[in-house]
Amino acid sequence: MFILPFALLTLTFFILPAIATVWMSFTDLDVKMKPNFIGLENYIRIFQDYSLGEILQNTIVYAVASLGFVLLLSLIIAISTQYFMKGKTVATGYRVLWLIPSLFPSVVFAIFWKYIFDPTENGFLNKIGMHLGAVDEPVSWITRYAMPIVILGTVVGSVSSNVILLSSSINSIPEDLYKAARVDGAGEKSIILKIILPTLRWPLMYITITTLIGFVSSYFFIMLLTDGGPMHDSTTLALYSYQQAFQLKYYGYGAAISMFVVVIALALTLVLLRLFDFDALVQPSRIEE
Amino acid sequence: MSKKILKLLVVHTYMAMLTVPILFMIVWYFMTATFNSYTGSFSLDNFAFMFGPIESMGIKLPAIWPIVLNTLVYSFTIVMIEVLISVPAAYAFSRLDFKGKRNAMKFLFIMRSFPGVTLIIATFFILVKMNLVDTYLGIILVAITGSLPGHVYIMKGFFDEVPWDLEWAAMTDGCSRFRAFRKVILPAVKPGIGAIAIFSFLGAYGEWFLFKLLIFSDTRLIIGGYIAKLITEENVIVDYGLISALGLFYTLPVILFYIFSQKIFMKVNIGGSKGV
Repeated sequence: MFILPFALLTLTFFILPAIATVWMSFTDLDVKMKPNFIGLENYIRIFQDYSLGEILQNTIVYAVASLGFVLLLSLIIAISTQYFMKGKTVATGYRVLWLIPSLFPSVVFAIFWKYIFDPTENGFLNKIGMHLGAVDEPVSWITRYAMPIVILGTVVGSVSSNVILLSSSINSIPEDLYKAARVDGAGEKSIILKIILPTLRWPLMYITITTLIGFVSSYFFIMLLTDGGPMHDSTTLALYSYQQAFQLKYYGYGAAISMFVVVIALALTLVLLRLFDFDALVQPSRIEE
Repeated sequence: MSKKILKLLVVHTYMAMLTVPILFMIVWYFMTATFNSYTGSFSLDNFAFMFGPIESMGIKLPAIWPIVLNTLVYSFTIVMIEVLISVPAAYAFSRLDFKGKRNAMKFLFIMRSFPGVTLIIATFFILVKMNLVDTYLGIILVAITGSLPGHVYIMKGFFDEVPWDLEWAAMTDGCSRFRAFRKVILPAVKPGIGAIAIFSFLGAYGEWFLFKLLIFSDTRLIIGGYIAKLITEENVIVDYGLISALGLFYTLPVILFYIFSQKIFMKVNIGGSKGV
């Protein structure tokens, strides 16, 4: 059968791990690899974990701030290149430049941010700061501003794929529509608000949901940049589950935190779907057909 | 008219401001990699790692070419397996009627948007039980399962766009279903196959996380895992020249590959529409 290999792989490395995660979250599996069933203890432990508050807060700040900036930047870039400078070579130039961060392998991308915020005098910010006399000695930027730095890097790295998606939607708006609107006396502001944004509703919904799930559940970039440090300053919940499982070898506890992450991601998705549908009811799009 | 110019000026100004950091980043890579940080003059000393194992400021680098070979073997294996699995699966999802298809489709959709990273702890445990930790087989299986749903989905879209009539026509002309698949459908979805091959290549080439987690011996690393190791082991990167040279060495092929594949994409697209 055609899908047999696919089904087999899915079974062993998706369904099985999913079940195993649930099972592990009820055990005290650790480095000894001898699981004992301990019931809800791991879940109780999550809520008694003294660093949970800080980590949850980090997760929310990281996900919401990154999402906000990603949406804003992608919209600005997509609208300026696809509407204001439509068809100009400069526009393509801008878009290609913004594509580059996502083409860079993430490890290479992280090197750049490490350089900018390097805590020694070799770092870019320290060099500039000391040259201008703004700081007397090298500042340990990452220690001080771990979260903002992580967010900045994440945003720059994830804007471009969204720009592509948004640009192609804007591109599908017929030119006549703008002309008609201008004849009717519409300014740029109302063209953007009433024509472009409604067209972008579905892509925006898609972006919001996928990037939000991504930010809540993945931690690769944080790991490269700060590894969650200093202390737990830039640790998100998903990274915390990784640390518990693979650095402290509390596999059972890590799995329980993972479950928690999945529940959050699921809840967010459902809430967002509701929210967007609700919006659709209130404000029907004008150029859907 | 001057208002229009003013408006364009504003747009250009903020776009330029947004883009400057990225330009700076690109320039920085080339500058740091090709200039000696002490004398400030142009030199290719940082690329010495290409000609054998070196040691610089406490960083020991093994010979790079075996690692490059690993990277290529790993990436191309993934591309091949992924294409071989996802094309038939997508065909089945698009064309064949089988029991539980609706549920399978739903499942595919859920799986595609499910945050797979959260399963990594259990996956690790399963790999330990299967004795596949620290082997290429284990890492390849995990990597493929992670990206497969998305690619099957993309591929399914390409199959959906091939009209049924095309297949029927072939079959009335005496083709078997399999022959029709091979001779008629497959050429029509070539761009799709190209697309998923490129996606899976880029994904595999940039992989570092799974290597950090599942591979313990340095000789089996790929470049991504290797750089990740270099930059996360210590808090501070000492020799930016060397690291960025390494980064450039790693990135340039991707960029070239990307530009090259864009051209191929266009060609294939034109060719495909002519045939149909």
